[in-house]
Amino acid sequence: MNKGHSNRLGWILLSPSLLVLGIAGLAPFFYVIYVGTHSWNVFSKERGKVFVGVQNYRDLVFDSAFLGTLSRTLIFSFVVVTIELVLGFILALSLIKDFKAKTFFRTVYVLPVVVAPIAVGATWRLMMAQGHGPIPFFLNKFFGWDFNTGASTTQAWIAILLMDIWHWTPFVTLTLLAGLLAIPKEPVEAASVDGANRFQMHRYLILPMLLPVILITVFIRIMDSLRSMEDVYMLTNGGPGSSTTFVGLHIFRTVFAKQDYGYGSSMSLLVLYFTIVICWLLFNALTGKESKRKV
Amino acid sequence: MLKIRNRRGLALASVISSLALVLSACASDSDSGSASGDDAWFAEAADKLECKGKTIKGVTENTPPGQYVKSDIIPAFEAATGMKVDLETTSWDEMYSKAINDMEAKTGIYDFVYIEQDIIYQYLKNNYLANISKTIAENADLQAPSFDFGKFTSFIDNFKDANGDVYGVPMEAFVKVYLYRTDLFNDPAIKDSFNAKYKRDLVPATNYKEYKEIAEFFTEYGKGKDIWGTTVQAVTGHPASFYELFESILPTNGVYNWGINNGKATSANGGSMDSKAAKDAFAFWVGLLKQAPPESKQSTWTEVGTTFAAGRAAQGWVYGENVAWIATDESKSKVVGNVGVTLPPLGNPQVLEDSKSGKGYLGYYDGGAFGVPATSKNINCSILFQQYQGQESVQAKWAAAGSRIVMESTYSDPIVQEMDVKTNGYYTFMKDQGPLFRGAPPFPFHSAVREVVAPFIYDAIAGKISTSDALDKAAKAADAEMKKLGY
Repeated sequence: MNKGHSNRLGWILLSPSLLVLGIAGLAPFFYVIYVGTHSWNVFSKERGKVFVGVQNYRDLVFDSAFLGTLSRTLIFSFVVVTIELVLGFILALSLIKDFKAKTFFRTVYVLPVVVAPIAVGATWRLMMAQGHGPIPFFLNKFFGWDFNTGASTTQAWIAILLMDIWHWTPFVTLTLLAGLLAIPKEPVEAASVDGANRFQMHRYLILPMLLPVILITVFIRIMDSLRSMEDVYMLTNGGPGSSTTFVGLHIFRTVFAKQDYGYGSSMSLLVLYFTIVICWLLFNALTGKESKRKV
Repeated sequence: MLKIRNRRGLALASVISSLALVLSACASDSDSGSASGDDAWFAEAADKLECKGKTIKGVTENTPPGQYVKSDIIPAFEAATGMKVDLETTSWDEMYSKAINDMEAKTGIYDFVYIEQDIIYQYLKNNYLANISKTIAENADLQAPSFDFGKFTSFIDNFKDANGDVYGVPMEAFVKVYLYRTDLFNDPAIKDSFNAKYKRDLVPATNYKEYKEIAEFFTEYGKGKDIWGTTVQAVTGHPASFYELFESILPTNGVYNWGINNGKATSANGGSMDSKAAKDAFAFWVGLLKQAPPESKQSTWTEVGTTFAAGRAAQGWVYGENVAWIATDESKSKVVGNVGVTLPPLGNPQVLEDSKSGKGYLGYYDGGAFGVPATSKNINCSILFQQYQGQESVQAKWAAAGSRIVMESTYSDPIVQEMDVKTNGYYTFMKDQGPLFRGAPPFPFHSAVREVVAPFIYDAIAGKISTSDALDKAAKAADAEMKKLGY
């Protein structure tokens, strides 16, 4: 077969996807880069975009509100991804085994994944609302606790952590379960014949073989949690004070409430940069260690 | 089935059925918000302007007046003209995001948008809006005989430019009142108990000290009854708390226009945002949280209304648009017939004199209009709708449903007078005392400054910083932001 013809056909077949990618993915990305180098506040005295180069990024480095939301987001991301990974792994292991009503349980268990974050936030808010929410009511009735996410920073954090863990642990479980089911039986059986106990089997066999799936799952969850916005916006609105204002919500307010498009765009790009760096560091930390061991 | 046996019977049946039809037509007219007498003109105008069959799209806040537009005025307009009106009623912040992004990007999605009195200055500066009065004046087919700019109250002046041209047709105006529970304030046992404790009569407060005492008294009284001393609109993360502080509380202590003077907020630069008067008022307001229901730190203007309607507060600052349903709608409110309206308490008695002379004001006069984006592809059709909703004949029922008044004549309408009695004189109060209240200052940097100041207010409400620190930092941030924006 003619190689040139084959290449041309390949590009022709790829072109619709590339076109969509260019329009839906790359064009907005380059536009955000462009806007990020401008001062563009709808309500400034001088209307329109004014080129400022990297001034927005210089300002961001010293912007305590932005840095505060960024550090808060990193803490949130670290906590939820760690807990979700551990819980998800345990649940994935339990779902491998057969038990009564397994299919029903699995279906119900994964339902939160398909609910939109904004709906999750609204539901949790209704459950935790003062005056008519069942959670504060029952906590007060049975334990005498005053649970008020609008007044207590700790309780607001507990609420958003629980909400995220409830929402996304099923996703982690599903991906890890798929990974576990794909592990070949032979090495496991061989290890069992060689007398490996359960811990050794998991530590030296299952976990290393599951590592690529764990990595992908962690990357997806890190990226997701770093841009958490809708559910937190609904549940706590970033409060009390600014204690649960994460970087996504901060960017949203800068762009939509303050109408500061230039500064908001530069924030978005900086957060994207941080996300890439974090994922890269994590990837190297995990795979580097693994490759050294292999050598 | 009824059998008609002869001609006389047939004739009688025809007369009866005709009468029934006429009566039902009258009934349906009176049920809608329609100005039936002018529907023919609007139908003809829609035809001439080629609007018939077209859809115009609008966005407004989901409030009682906004809901009335959707449920009553639009169906009547659609029936009269053959046009379609697609109105989004959404949250306050989302409404603004949608409208501003559309007008800034010139996408032309919306044919009319809600313009609150406080944001019109920004819109005019950015040339976002079509000149409604000029467009009407230049097009004879667009001049509805039943529409007259002159019939609106002086509130319409907020939507005029320096030349007197109108950019918005007022659709709501009301004051943020001091609302109190008459059943509690007039209960003889409660009055005696209050008198025994404070050596004075239990009457609505006229100053901060009295208000605080009443709040403390009812919080103590309400233990186990789910009644607290006051509402506080102290949500954090939402500008509602900023607005209650800057537009309803600080003015009562003599800090007007957000404490910004000639583009400066710090006292050092000539402003008063960080002045002692501002700090005292802020401390008073945050202090009220101890006597407020637990939901107060999550309460916007909507939740304050529902808290009061649920009977969970004895008094509070409540947006007037909620007064009608709180006072009359038994399906939503537990305090029907038990609502009193009066002037808010003052931190400084001089404020009343300032308000009478026009030098200051003692509370917030809120309201908005529908404006037509200059980028709309259906400007004429949209203006046709604006005139329809701006007719005198649609105002009274709208005023009863949304406790808003934009025309002087609406006050004397029997429907409104009946509601006035049911609301313990809210409408009369608005007519007589309205001039003591004022809308937001004419700042073109309104949203930008609000967004840099509000986080400090949130942190003070959350107890992370003191109220004094919060205003010091807020004033500095406001100065820096105004400088950055070029003001």
